[in-house]
Amino acid sequence: MSGSKPDILWAPHQVDRFVVCDSELSLYHVESTVNSELKAGSLRLSEDSAATLLSINSETPYMKCVAWYLSYDPECLLAVGQANGRVVLTSLGQDHNSKFRDLIGKEFVPKHARQCNTLAWNPVDNNWLAAGLDKHRADFSVLIWDICSKYTPDIVPMEKVRLSVGETETSLLVTKPLYELGQNDACLSLCWLPRDQKLLLAGMHRNLAIFDLRNTSQKMFVNTKAVQGVTVDPYFHDRVASFYEGQVAIWDLRKFEKPVLTLTEQPKPLTKVAWCPTRTGLLATLTRDSNIIRLYDMQHTPTPIGDETEPTIIERSVQPCDNYIASFAWHPTSQNRMIVVTPNRTMSDFTVFERISLAWSPITSLMWACGRHLYECAEEENDNSLEKDIATKMRLRALSRYGLDTEQVWRNHILAGNEDPQLKSLWYTLHFMKQYTEDMDQKSPGNKGSLVYAGIKSIVKSSLGMVESSRHNWSGLDKQSDIQNLNEERILALQLCGWIKKGTDVDVGPFLNSLVQEGEWERAAAVALFNLDIRRAIQILNEGASSGKGDLNLNVVAMALSGYTDEKNSLWREMCSTLRLQLNNPYLCIMFAFLTSEAGSYDGVLYENKVAVRDRVAFACKFLSDSQLNRYIEKLTNEMKEAGNLEGILLTGLTKDGVDLMESYVDRTGDVQTASYCMLQGSPLDVLKDERVQYWIENYRNLLDAWRFWHKRAEFDIHRSKLDPSSKPLAQVFVSCNFCGKSISYSCSTVPHQGRGFSQYGVSGSPTKSKVTSCPGCRKPLPRCALCLINMGTPVSSCPAVLLLMGFLWMQ
Amino acid sequence: MGSRETGSERRCKFFSLTETPEDYTIIVDEEGFLELPSSEHLSVADATWLALNVVSGGGSFSSSQPIGVTKIAKSVIAPLADQNISVFMLSTYQTDFILVRERDLPFVTHTLSSEFTILRVVNGETVAAENLGITNGFVKPKMVQRPVIHPLSSPSNRFCVTSLDPDTLPTVATLLMDVMFYSNGVKDPLASGDDCDHIRFFSFSLIEGYISLVMDVQTQQRFPSNLLFTSASGELWKMVRIGGQPLGFDECGIVAQISEPLAAADIPAYYISTFKFDHALVPEENINGVISALKVSQAEKH
Repeated sequence: MSGSKPDILWAPHQVDRFVVCDSELSLYHVESTVNSELKAGSLRLSEDSAATLLSINSETPYMKCVAWYLSYDPECLLAVGQANGRVVLTSLGQDHNSKFRDLIGKEFVPKHARQCNTLAWNPVDNNWLAAGLDKHRADFSVLIWDICSKYTPDIVPMEKVRLSVGETETSLLVTKPLYELGQNDACLSLCWLPRDQKLLLAGMHRNLAIFDLRNTSQKMFVNTKAVQGVTVDPYFHDRVASFYEGQVAIWDLRKFEKPVLTLTEQPKPLTKVAWCPTRTGLLATLTRDSNIIRLYDMQHTPTPIGDETEPTIIERSVQPCDNYIASFAWHPTSQNRMIVVTPNRTMSDFTVFERISLAWSPITSLMWACGRHLYECAEEENDNSLEKDIATKMRLRALSRYGLDTEQVWRNHILAGNEDPQLKSLWYTLHFMKQYTEDMDQKSPGNKGSLVYAGIKSIVKSSLGMVESSRHNWSGLDKQSDIQNLNEERILALQLCGWIKKGTDVDVGPFLNSLVQEGEWERAAAVALFNLDIRRAIQILNEGASSGKGDLNLNVVAMALSGYTDEKNSLWREMCSTLRLQLNNPYLCIMFAFLTSEAGSYDGVLYENKVAVRDRVAFACKFLSDSQLNRYIEKLTNEMKEAGNLEGILLTGLTKDGVDLMESYVDRTGDVQTASYCMLQGSPLDVLKDERVQYWIENYRNLLDAWRFWHKRAEFDIHRSKLDPSSKPLAQVFVSCNFCGKSISYSCSTVPHQGRGFSQYGVSGSPTKSKVTSCPGCRKPLPRCALCLINMGTPVSSCPAVLLLMGFLWMQ
Repeated sequence: MGSRETGSERRCKFFSLTETPEDYTIIVDEEGFLELPSSEHLSVADATWLALNVVSGGGSFSSSQPIGVTKIAKSVIAPLADQNISVFMLSTYQTDFILVRERDLPFVTHTLSSEFTILRVVNGETVAAENLGITNGFVKPKMVQRPVIHPLSSPSNRFCVTSLDPDTLPTVATLLMDVMFYSNGVKDPLASGDDCDHIRFFSFSLIEGYISLVMDVQTQQRFPSNLLFTSASGELWKMVRIGGQPLGFDECGIVAQISEPLAAADIPAYYISTFKFDHALVPEENINGVISALKVSQAEKH
């Protein structure tokens, strides 16, 4: 303090009072101003609080330090340490008839005068007051006074106590301390340790010392410079902070040899360090000439372990005002509340906000913590148009065994909820790929099978350079000139697109029928048209218009369609090519685009993005030349990859390209579930080994774990191991020999492979394997069955005990 | 035992000025010395000195322990005297400094290492002093009687040893200047007239922020009351002045000659060496006993 720099203290028990001390002591009362006007003479502390001055005490000059009496006192009893080492009890109350009346004015006088640096009330015995003084060659620097002691002992004869003028009330002078510690040393800071009433931690001249009043001849000490401002963590009684210049040292008293941690050094010397009394592990520090309070959050390190592991801390700061801060004080009970005072005695009352920690639950709810409050934010359970979160979707899909239908692969999109056209396309693609791979393998066991999973891009490429054969002539349309000869690869591509079925039959009839059944009139009509069957197209449209479910306008479209003429400059052509753009349905739109296009240029069809990729690709296969087709597929593939559109899997297949595409899909949606199942559908091993694929798979497994879907996880792992045997977990259960402890299965198996231990030594009953009756490691006999006395290693069925057991199991 | 390198910090942290009838003695660290103007009037003792300081680390807490030089007479001063190491003493309100020549440090360290943990202060941090590796060449000293060699005198002034709050130093700066440099005894006609044994003696030191003052009662009365730190018991001290001829800096055992009899009698003492003479302060009630004890010791010489 020394007259210029004010200090500030909250009352330990009256939560709305605080004292500012510089050359005098001023008691303030804090009031809320939320519902009332600022009273005259009040000082504003914050937006909603103000302070009123209650009283001033200027009876104690030469103040060096102040400490508030710790037990409840209506009279605001304070101990003041003075420059000459005397400690004076004083009060800020008005009522002098209180029970502390006798104490007020009492002085505690050291044998040799020197500055009193620090005061600390004992938290257990409220009458004990420790004072830390400067050095004297012969005197003690830590004096513990009992404020209730009423006598001046005989050791110092009264006549020898030279009193200054006016000090006639000798009964108020106490010269005999309860304890004297730290001879010929200086004490700069003090704090009682909560571990025991009689343990006192002191920052001495060049060391930190723990005095044990039960045995004052003993002290524990550690040499250090950091002896200022010792303070014990109220929530972790072995943790102590002290400082020196710009450096704060954190000590663990159980390992009191060196600091467990030193905080980053500040450029200016520190003036105060204080633990937050309402929150664990939060330390506030203040340096000279600074307008910020620095906060260190040691929340995550309640027990630092070992020398090497430096605990992590989070550092941040608050700036309560623009001026330099002279001192600060945590509120004793209000959470994270603090008051600061500036050198010109303006004050500010504020709350240090907590860092907000936030966590997503694996089932879409969001939770965050702020101070002692927890907030949860859950997704509303309704089926409105709002898109569900992908985590919710994945969870529901996992529950419906999405991805696990390996026979009717296309059904997986139904399991996924039948709402996402991309997923539908993906699973149909995968379904066809599986189907035709099997087909190929049956027909000609070769490398074609793997080609199917490589996607249309690779299939089309493989046909490049083959001789183009003569063109077919189809009736009804002039477009036949562009119809390409359908070689094997193009047929395969059309099959993958779903336009034609298995076998060499190139009829799209069944496909059209299925589309009509599903009510996709426009698409069916378009497909019919692209197969140059304009009659069928018109017929389909009529059907659609009359079915009730379809649009009545389809009849109008059918009419327009029937007016088709191949004359280049006709009115029909002119009107159709302009008005088609106003058609909402993309399929109707491309039908007219197709009909009005010049021969050989079908960009209106090929680049109509609203049309399913499979239809556009099938169209391309039918109408583009090899080189055009290749270029088109290449371009479309890149487009799909960029957009992460799952329809593109048709083109890329389950290749590296496919992984690229899936990567942008996962980036876009976060759907690792689809990514995992898709890649596990038939990817070659080198694709599976791609770290991205492994990453999706691991993430999906973690997600299943997080949802506690243990069975789903197991199913997934089994599914995975079918395609990727290397992912099979190693055997975790072994039969080991009683005598040597070695695994029987391992040592006797000729094939050095784990995980098949049981069958190796014959439990599975393989008749070709010789029975093992002794441990292959130590040759000691294996244990026998308690009933039939047959050695282990005998086929299960022959032991009656096992049969009995199995019988029980069946009956359950 | 702490050994403090007087020149380890940037600003002057060790300053002591003692006025005696003969001269002013200044003890200052290297930084402070650089600030002194060079003058032909300034006599400088050879060599650099290091200030040693005994720190009690635990040990007994009996309050009746004799203080200051007496406490360390047996453990520090006598062994150094036995090893013929010349020392220079400066007692302050806060502690006792034993100054030894820097070149003697290895011998000092070795001599004291049996009784003390020797620590060195480097940039404010205390570190264990390195073992200087001197193990041979020491003759186990025989226990010798150390009679007082030099003539003694005891001025009549009563002294007090005090300190003051560094914050209040500016308020008494003029007074201090006056006391130290301009009073010259004439302000005190009563003492100089009646008592020819009266001595002018005033010591001021400012060491690491701590102020220590030694002055006689007459001078003390010139200070505002309540400003000086004194003891609650108001103890006063009398002086024993050692030396007829200037003592020089090489003679060993002078402090030991005085402190050992005091230690034997359990009498606390301050000890201030100056450029020419040594001064011991003992409680006024003990002065007669001290003088006679030292006289006995002196007599043993003859």
